[in-house]
Amino acid sequence: MTAYEKLQAGASVRQETLYHPVEGSYTTKVATKNVTVHYGDKSALNGVSIEIPACTVTSFIGPSGCGKSTFLRSINRMNDTIDNARVSGSILIDGEEVNDRNVDPVVLRARVGMVFQKPNPFPKTIYENVAYGPRIHGLAADKDQLDAIVETSLRKAGLWDEVADRLDQPGTSLSGGQQQRLVIARAIAVNPEVILMDEPCSALDPIATARIEELIDELRENYTLIIVTHSMAQAARVSQMTAFFHLGSLVEYGPTEEIFTNPRDQRTQDYITGRFG
Amino acid sequence: MQISVYVALALLVLTAIGYLVGRRQAFVAAAGRPSELHSLPSYYGYYLALWTGVPALILLALYGLTGTSLVNTLAMGELEREAAPLIRAYDTQLAQDPDLSRLNDAIAQLEADAQVARSELDKARRDGGEVAAYQRSLGDLTVELNRLQGEISQVQDRIAASIAVRAPDNLAGDRARAGFEYWRATPDRRDLFLTDARALAFGEGFASRNSSALIAAGDAMRPWDEMFRWSSAGLAMAMALGGLTWMRRQITVTFRARNRLEGVVSFALFAMSGIAILTTLGIVLSLLFESIRFFAAIDWRIHEFLFGLQWSPQIAIRADQVGQTGAFGAVPLFAGTALITLVAMCVAVPVGLFAAIYLSEYASSRFRAIAKPVLEILAGVPTVVYGFFALLTVGPFIRDAAVLLGYEDAVTQSALSAGLVMGIMIIPFVSSLSDDVINAVPQSLRDGAYAMGATKSEAVRHVVLPAALPGIVGAILLAVSRAIGETMIVVMAAGQGANLTANPLESVTTITVQIVMLITGDQEFESAKTLSAFALALVLFALTLFLNIAALRVVERFRERYE
Repeated sequence: MTAYEKLQAGASVRQETLYHPVEGSYTTKVATKNVTVHYGDKSALNGVSIEIPACTVTSFIGPSGCGKSTFLRSINRMNDTIDNARVSGSILIDGEEVNDRNVDPVVLRARVGMVFQKPNPFPKTIYENVAYGPRIHGLAADKDQLDAIVETSLRKAGLWDEVADRLDQPGTSLSGGQQQRLVIARAIAVNPEVILMDEPCSALDPIATARIEELIDELRENYTLIIVTHSMAQAARVSQMTAFFHLGSLVEYGPTEEIFTNPRDQRTQDYITGRFG
Repeated sequence: MQISVYVALALLVLTAIGYLVGRRQAFVAAAGRPSELHSLPSYYGYYLALWTGVPALILLALYGLTGTSLVNTLAMGELEREAAPLIRAYDTQLAQDPDLSRLNDAIAQLEADAQVARSELDKARRDGGEVAAYQRSLGDLTVELNRLQGEISQVQDRIAASIAVRAPDNLAGDRARAGFEYWRATPDRRDLFLTDARALAFGEGFASRNSSALIAAGDAMRPWDEMFRWSSAGLAMAMALGGLTWMRRQITVTFRARNRLEGVVSFALFAMSGIAILTTLGIVLSLLFESIRFFAAIDWRIHEFLFGLQWSPQIAIRADQVGQTGAFGAVPLFAGTALITLVAMCVAVPVGLFAAIYLSEYASSRFRAIAKPVLEILAGVPTVVYGFFALLTVGPFIRDAAVLLGYEDAVTQSALSAGLVMGIMIIPFVSSLSDDVINAVPQSLRDGAYAMGATKSEAVRHVVLPAALPGIVGAILLAVSRAIGETMIVVMAAGQGANLTANPLESVTTITVQIVMLITGDQEFESAKTLSAFALALVLFALTLFLNIAALRVVERFRERYE
């Protein structure tokens, strides 16, 4: 039984599921049930239930203010850092409740990495940026191990060849696209299971974007990726699953091909064909 | 009321009329279709009003600034010409007087002696020999010289009095006497003479004395004054009307009133910033020139001033005093300033910085909304109140505590109490500036740290503070320059003794305290003692200027990175 099936079986409030089961052998990594987020009195997300398969790229699309970023941020409990945000509902990662009181958000965020819209390297050297996570979580026993982690992470992020000879320079000295890959390397360094990306290419030029998209495709082998994007072409290029959000609700979710070629919902079709958004 | 006030009022009315005329003319030029105009009608009004009012008002202001001295010069020139016979007679008498030539010879002899004594004194100083005897004889010579010069002026006054009575006892005679008295007077006396004459003639303030000559001088000023008033008033009105009619004719449909007004506005703004900059420059230059006079007064021993260990300017009060050079070694003042600043920063930096971190990172927005203004109220407390607090509460407390702990020599006025209270005063300064730079660190950096699984304090320590560090350093430097320049607290709480000590429980003195001590009260502005205040102020200015520039540069570099 998948985590999602467990959830559905135990849930008292039944929502119409929008999930089209995918053919194949995916296992579920993240499953949510009825996730609702309020900012003060304003509701930003109402009752989202979704099941995200492991080792795939899932993209969230939808017009601005539709709640996709809010939903993304509730998966690693980043909404905790916002004073008046309230999250309810259930979010399971490998069947484990994220919002449980016993879950330490600090540990959770090591398991669920995040990459932001604007590259945000710390005011440290390139090396220290990547070593930051392993350091604060005590992942490396000695300097050699740390060096190894830094190198592996930079290699996975496709940045090693460009920065190997200037690891001691500030992270901010890199170009925008390099900074974004540095930030991805920083996220990989703590060996997360899930990587959340909030419009990771919106501040980059087309060449840097192509580079990041390639990288996302490579990372799929080891990590579960969830990306929020405004570019439907990007969603079509990099993701296997696509979810369409509108006005705080999940409208349609399914294999990317299906969503883009044969959407079931009129609103999805309108959005994809550019009629609103 | 004076005419110029009426003229100014009339000019304001004319300016308002100019506005209306300009607007109207614009409508006329556009033949009732304002949309044809280059600019909105009111721009034409403003432009015409400017041409009506501004040149005339500038003329009035110029007259206000220079009118009095012009009138004085013209009137006194007239009187001096009338006094020509008296002046000639006086000059002949001086040349013939036997007493005077005797006195002049004696003075020449004394000056030669003094020259010799001075060179011998210098020689003795160089060789390290006994100098007291030379100093004494030089002092005696100076006293004798002053006495003879006094005698000379007595003789001159006697001759002048005998000449003045020769003028007839009527108005013409009074005018000649006034011109003669003015001609003989030293610059200071001339000013006094003019002030008194004006007081008698125009009732400006009170005259210090009264004489027929002064009254005659005042009467001589009156027609000139009258002429200037009326002519300036007439000229101003003519300029206003001329500007009005001339510019009115310029107004056409294509006239670019809007752009021209823009030029006027940018010039006015430029002029205002120019005033701010020039004033600062003027202050700096006056400091510089007075300091040069001070250094000249101590025979250019600048190194002694900057590196000397003894500060006792008090012995140089009178110019004819023996050993008149005093001790102007400012190191004890620099050390005292540094000690108090250090104590103040030890209080202000940790408290202010941690308060800023709490307010910007941890506090709820409700607490912050209350706490931040409260903290800033601290900055609004007058420093004299802090001074009270330091002198009456903190000072005795520290002394008693030190005595209890076995330090018997503790005093009330100590570097520690002044420094502590000054630190409290500077807390809001540090916290408010640090709070600003911490808030300027982009939220995305914090998010990045949290997303890596950092706790709040880790995010602050590892990411936020390093990012804000240049700004925080800038804030601290600004706070240091504030502490160095702070006066009232140290005047009240730090003491006046120029002790060279690193013990914060002793009383020390600072640059600012000494400036206050040197310059308040009755002081002779020629003595090295008073002039030394300017040299101290110059050092203080250079120090704070350097700190401010350093701070601004650091902060600027920070801004470049994150905005």
